[in-house]
Amino acid sequence: MGRALLIWRLALGDITRRRRQSALLVAMIAATTATLTLSLALQGVTNDPFARTRAATRGPDVSALFEPGFHGTMGTLAQFAALVRSPGVTASSGPYAVARLELIARGYRVRVHAEGRDRDRAQVDQPLLTAGHWTADGGVVIERGFAEALGVHVGDAILLNGRRFAVRGIALTTAMPISDPLIWLTRSDLLALAGGSEPLWESLNLKLSDPAAASAFADARNPPNAAWFLESWQELRADDSQTIANERQVLGIGAVLLAMIAIAGIAVLVGSRMAEQTRRIGLLKAVGGTPGLLATMLLAENLLLASAATVIGVAAGRVIAPELTAPGNSLLGSAGTAAVSAASVALAAALAFAVAIIATLLPALSGARTSTIRALNDPARPPRRHPWAIGLSSRLPAPGLLALRLIARRPRRTLLGMASLTIAVATVIATLMERHTPVLGVRVAGNILAADKQASLEHVATVLSVILVVVAAINLLFVTWATVLDARRPTALARALGATPNQVSTGLAGAQLVPGALAALFGLPAGLVVFGLTAGNPLNADPPIPLLLAVIPATLIAVAALTAIPARVGARRPVAEVLRSE
Amino acid sequence: MTEPILAGGEPILAARTLSKEYGTASALVRAVDDVSLTVNQGESVAIVGPSGCGKSTLLYLLGGLERPTAGTLALDSQPIHDMPESRLARLRRHAVGFVFQAFHLVDELTALENIELPALLAGASPSAARERARDLLEQVDLSDRAAHLPSALSGGQRQRVAIARALANRPRVVLADEPTGNLDSAATTDVLRLFDQLRTAGQTLVVVTHDSRVAATADRLISMRDGAFVDETRLTGGSARSLTEITGLEA
Repeated sequence: MGRALLIWRLALGDITRRRRQSALLVAMIAATTATLTLSLALQGVTNDPFARTRAATRGPDVSALFEPGFHGTMGTLAQFAALVRSPGVTASSGPYAVARLELIARGYRVRVHAEGRDRDRAQVDQPLLTAGHWTADGGVVIERGFAEALGVHVGDAILLNGRRFAVRGIALTTAMPISDPLIWLTRSDLLALAGGSEPLWESLNLKLSDPAAASAFADARNPPNAAWFLESWQELRADDSQTIANERQVLGIGAVLLAMIAIAGIAVLVGSRMAEQTRRIGLLKAVGGTPGLLATMLLAENLLLASAATVIGVAAGRVIAPELTAPGNSLLGSAGTAAVSAASVALAAALAFAVAIIATLLPALSGARTSTIRALNDPARPPRRHPWAIGLSSRLPAPGLLALRLIARRPRRTLLGMASLTIAVATVIATLMERHTPVLGVRVAGNILAADKQASLEHVATVLSVILVVVAAINLLFVTWATVLDARRPTALARALGATPNQVSTGLAGAQLVPGALAALFGLPAGLVVFGLTAGNPLNADPPIPLLLAVIPATLIAVAALTAIPARVGARRPVAEVLRSE
Repeated sequence: MTEPILAGGEPILAARTLSKEYGTASALVRAVDDVSLTVNQGESVAIVGPSGCGKSTLLYLLGGLERPTAGTLALDSQPIHDMPESRLARLRRHAVGFVFQAFHLVDELTALENIELPALLAGASPSAARERARDLLEQVDLSDRAAHLPSALSGGQRQRVAIARALANRPRVVLADEPTGNLDSAATTDVLRLFDQLRTAGQTLVVVTHDSRVAATADRLISMRDGAFVDETRLTGGSARSLTEITGLEA
């Protein structure tokens, strides 16, 4: 009990003595667990809105479309209509006449599926009006997601195959895959518009006694050459979930990138804490602490921080999840709070604890190997000597000389900071590419709903890039602080030898600006790769080149702003005080 | 209050009623207490006193590395006690060279690179800085150690490199803080010989020390206690006496 209390006191004392470092470690681990939590929480998040919409619209268990000359030639309309008498069918609606029409509204020219329905009391699949009234001659009802994408409202005028119609209502359904824009109008209007130019299609909606067996029912009645196609409600839901699946993929890659940034930051953190912790280990060994006790103390400290980070990360994930998971306009209601399951929390905690264990092992092993006297006297790693950097820097003005020599002193720290910045820049580039990718044929081919889905994906990418940029900024701040602390003596000496405070602070900031510039340059192509992995072909994107290039100076301005304060503080520390204490 | 101590020649350093305090109220420590001092060109001044008497603080004040709490200070005829930090840094480049007890060489730079650093920071061309560093390395008799890192040099050699570095920009005054404090007898002799050469060449020197052999090489000896000057001795021989005579060591 005494030993546990001692470990607890030592760990707590260490945390309170280094509040800033502890807070940064918690922030970095929390950001990683938050993204992992988000990624996991998206699992199945659209099920509830889909189920609600299905119940409110008496959604079909199986939706069938008779398409002569499209799917195949086997089967007649009579045989198609006979599907309602199949075993297990308990209710049905249709057949309804369906035709592909050209819709023109607000500058869009779109191919739509138009269904002829006169009455609004179907036993199965009765679209739910959310605005206006049901169809009447000369008036159409438009599916809500499609209406939102087009920007049309009740009372607006549209053209269908060149004829003017008024929008009478806006409605929801789960009977058609939402990738096909859907409208309803009266059967007589539909027949008049179709005009025999294309074969008329028919749709049918079925309720089954066993909805769970809908996929098997549809598969059994979908022979390869049939003139019809049956789709189960599970498949309809999967189509609807595609956007979420894409979002999950983006978040998955985002979680990997964030983990990489976090690992880079944690490596810098652990490295810079090593000297101090090795000295502390030396002190504790000198007063009788065993390597086991010291390792346990470090582990307790890091686990304590990781636990706090897990709580913060999971809570942040829960708060942000609804931002990412709001259902499309084609569904009823809101996704609410995405389910953060016990498994998600366990996985996030496992990640946080893995980080804590890594952060423990390195100093613990080093401390155990280092002799007590050496640990007490000379814990700092000797800086690296790079003759090329020293030679090159001699030709630069004083701030450049100081910056390059500071970079060369700790190249690994510089590389880790640069990697973290490169990832952030790459994410911003990928997000910009995503925002400037036109949906192919959106104005001519009727794929307008893809734009809606893309907007949702853009939203996820933007939120993710904000998280990544924030974590990279935290990392950058920490790297700068670590550099300032590590360079205390050489910068004080440079000032004693004639460097001005401005030259020193410019040198300290420059030590981050040079890798920042390289990160911006590397981040550009890396962003194209990330975009290719998550969203598609970079050749399809059409971002303004000046906008992409503006990321480079923007990165430098951000780096300069973030490093200015620590660099200024570092350059104004009293010289005599530093030189006397070393 | 100690009266200003004046010597002949153009004053390089002129301190008037200089004080430096640390802490506040009951924890107030007066490290330098109402000190006045003038150091003239070509003069060699040794400040001696027990540990903690404030002599190192006074040296940092004279070099502009610390700000006085009260009093005035002129370096090379320019008041520096309230001079903006950037201007002071630029003045210090050519007016002051520092030698520290702990050497304070940059670990990852060779002896030659350490010596050329002040010249580079002052804006000298790389070739001029390198040429000057080679000359100085020769003066301190370490030409064969030019490419050695500080870790590969003995204590005496490190301090000779530090002295050479202090001279890189041909300063008006060299301020040395316990230059032999970390050295053995042989290394101390080397450093003393070097200071003797500097004094002979007319270099203005202010050396803080508790080593009587170092103090004996100066023209003037000032004793300090509790932050104040308590005694001043103008040494009769100073530059006229040989190093061997002063130190009792073989030169």
